[in-house]
Amino acid sequence: MILSVIGPGIITANADNDAGGISTYSIVGAHYGYSLLWVLFLITFSLGITQEFGMRLGIVTGKGLAALIREKFGVKLTVFAMFTMLVANLGTITAEFSGVAASFSLIGVSKYFAVPFFALIVWFILYKGSFKKAEKIFLLLSSFYIVYIIAGFMVKPDFGAAATALVTPSFHFDIKYLIAFIALIGTTITPWGQFFVQSYVVDKGVRSKHLNISRFEAYFGAIITNLVSFFIIVTTANVLFKYGLTITSAGDAALALRPLAGEFAQFLFAFGLFSASMLGALILPVATAYAICEAFGWESGFNLNWSRGRIFYSLIIFSIVIPSAIVLLPCVNLMFLMLMSQAVNGMLLPVILIYLMRLMNDKELLGKHVNGMIVNVVAGITVVGLIAASIILMGVSFFPQLTM
Amino acid sequence: MIYLSKILGAKIKDSADQTIGILKDVLIKPTPGEYSPLEALLVKSKKKQHYFYIPYHYVENLAADEITLKTLEEKIIDYTSESGDILLLRDVMDQQIVDTAGARVVRVNDLQIGEAEGEMCVLGIDISTRGLMRRLGLTKTGLFNWLHVNLIDWKQAQPIKGTLKLETLSRDLVKLHPADLANIVEKLNIKQGRALVEAMDPKTAAKILEEIDPRVQRILVQALGPEKAAKISERMSIDELVDLIKLLPYDEAKEVCAVFQNGRKSKLEKLLTYKDDTAGGLMTTEFISALPSWTVQQVIDEIKRTSESFRSILYIYIADSKGIYKGVVSLRRLLTANPTDKIEQVMKKAKRLPCAKVHQRVREVGKLMTKYDLNSVAVVDHHHRLLGVVAVDDVMRTFFPHA
Repeated sequence: MILSVIGPGIITANADNDAGGISTYSIVGAHYGYSLLWVLFLITFSLGITQEFGMRLGIVTGKGLAALIREKFGVKLTVFAMFTMLVANLGTITAEFSGVAASFSLIGVSKYFAVPFFALIVWFILYKGSFKKAEKIFLLLSSFYIVYIIAGFMVKPDFGAAATALVTPSFHFDIKYLIAFIALIGTTITPWGQFFVQSYVVDKGVRSKHLNISRFEAYFGAIITNLVSFFIIVTTANVLFKYGLTITSAGDAALALRPLAGEFAQFLFAFGLFSASMLGALILPVATAYAICEAFGWESGFNLNWSRGRIFYSLIIFSIVIPSAIVLLPCVNLMFLMLMSQAVNGMLLPVILIYLMRLMNDKELLGKHVNGMIVNVVAGITVVGLIAASIILMGVSFFPQLTM
Repeated sequence: MIYLSKILGAKIKDSADQTIGILKDVLIKPTPGEYSPLEALLVKSKKKQHYFYIPYHYVENLAADEITLKTLEEKIIDYTSESGDILLLRDVMDQQIVDTAGARVVRVNDLQIGEAEGEMCVLGIDISTRGLMRRLGLTKTGLFNWLHVNLIDWKQAQPIKGTLKLETLSRDLVKLHPADLANIVEKLNIKQGRALVEAMDPKTAAKILEEIDPRVQRILVQALGPEKAAKISERMSIDELVDLIKLLPYDEAKEVCAVFQNGRKSKLEKLLTYKDDTAGGLMTTEFISALPSWTVQQVIDEIKRTSESFRSILYIYIADSKGIYKGVVSLRRLLTANPTDKIEQVMKKAKRLPCAKVHQRVREVGKLMTKYDLNSVAVVDHHHRLLGVVAVDDVMRTFFPHA
């Protein structure tokens, strides 16, 4: 019953805390303590605003983001946007399957069994059309993040210091730091989240008179998401960073739940990571396929037979198989894979945001609902900040002597 | 034959071979069911960087790299655009259209231009992947020649950009089966879907509404608003209407119901009390019934008089004056019987016929109908009073909700 009133903002917010999210926030907290909290604070505004963009655009035009990109920018720019989204999404799906692999490694199950098995399960759920049901179940299960809020209080952190950190910017020219910096943004505001929130309001048929409720929900959802992120960072900072421990495996990240669950921490973490990963692994391949089909006018939907829905089904299979295969490579570090996928998301995000900004300022499209000055500035700063960070990261990677 | 994507950006030269500017867009005035002649070219001037329209009758030759005019630049009288004008790139290219032949929604990848009845016209809409490749400039290499060009005849295409007048454009659309139209509406966004439903006559609209996926149905009814929704749903069969009302939030359901006449309203209220997955929830109360004492001729007259308001009349159900279910007569039996025969003589007696109890599960009803090869089955209460009829398509719908 409650699930039926949860709106798109909250759902995207919850789905945002997926495998990539939990690992990135854990690493940020464990490796850098409170020192990146200021970024989290700032991007709460960016997240709220970009989610509101998606909702407003969807409600006013009644169309998905991919459709609008195609209709406004033509084929060439659409191919570029869709390719960007595809790469980012494949990265995130890789993170989801890494999450599945990591959670099963905690209970001693090999990834060579877990990943192919759950890849098949995902396909089966999608193909059998039980997507909506499964989505609700995993959504419910992934609200396990609440345990981080409890754990966050149990470790008795210095909230004063955390609050100060929220508004105290700092910066380093260090490769690992920059990757974490970009990943933190890229896992909070995601290209797929942008497509997802918009198609959600379109599918739900939210009407213009509910625009203000949706706006409120976008900001509220952003605050909730980042509140959870805040507590993951605070918890790992206090349990790991304080004692100089770093995260190289899911087991290390699970230590953060020790104060709460003791010996049971590994299982609790494995369970939470698994649910979150499955939620993402279900949503993302479908969202990817729908967006691409929408942009290029190919038929989509699970009620199609194979010959009519060939492209749609192929896209879904492609975006399940390739990420699974990457996770199955023998020598990958799963935590690193999850972090990197989010960094890739962060680097590609500006591309999608620039398209979005162009649409949001289109008077022909939105009429009196076009962007105001303030939101333009905030979104603009986000884009510029991300591009700057990505350029610095590349500079530092290629010319390490510069930071000396 | 030439594609729009090939001529966009082409240089425009006047009769003195002076370059005037480059082609930015092409203007048409569409008439439904006809190839649209090119009316004017939107040109970006080379010198002054401003946009203006050159009427198409000045054009001497239209080719991919160059468009030549018959007159000198100074002699051209600009065209002033009016409302109702359509720009091919801005309004048609990349937009969604309904492919009436395939009963699906597709995107315009390119437009084919060529001569029809002595005029340059838009002839076809390219919806193929080859068209996409052409837009990307990848067809020159010949690498994608194995892809087929898939053209829709311009005359048969239905632009569904909200602003185009659908009522004049939907002639071919009306010919589609309501179930196919319903699938199209599901694929469109809600604004386009609403426009399409509104453009149909109420009877077709009602049929479309019946066939649509419940989730979309609810959104669509809300988008239509109670008045229009009620007007359309008046034409729906009552069992489908009940399902629809059940989907709506309480307030909106009340608003829609308020519009109905009393007779229908009370039937509706009664039906609303049955559970979805029972015979009662599935049945319709709108069927032709007759008394056992009637003659065959009387029944045939009754059918002639009332058949307008019923969806299907394969069987006539017989109940006595107290409403007790007595039997059934097929249309075939009626046609072959002597017109003066009494119905009770020609009908199949209820005692020997299976019937569904009002609270019986849909699965059970389905089994019953399969076992006895029934197209429809009578639904009775525990006093054996005839309440309604469940048709086989209603049962099918519950087992294949997304077809």
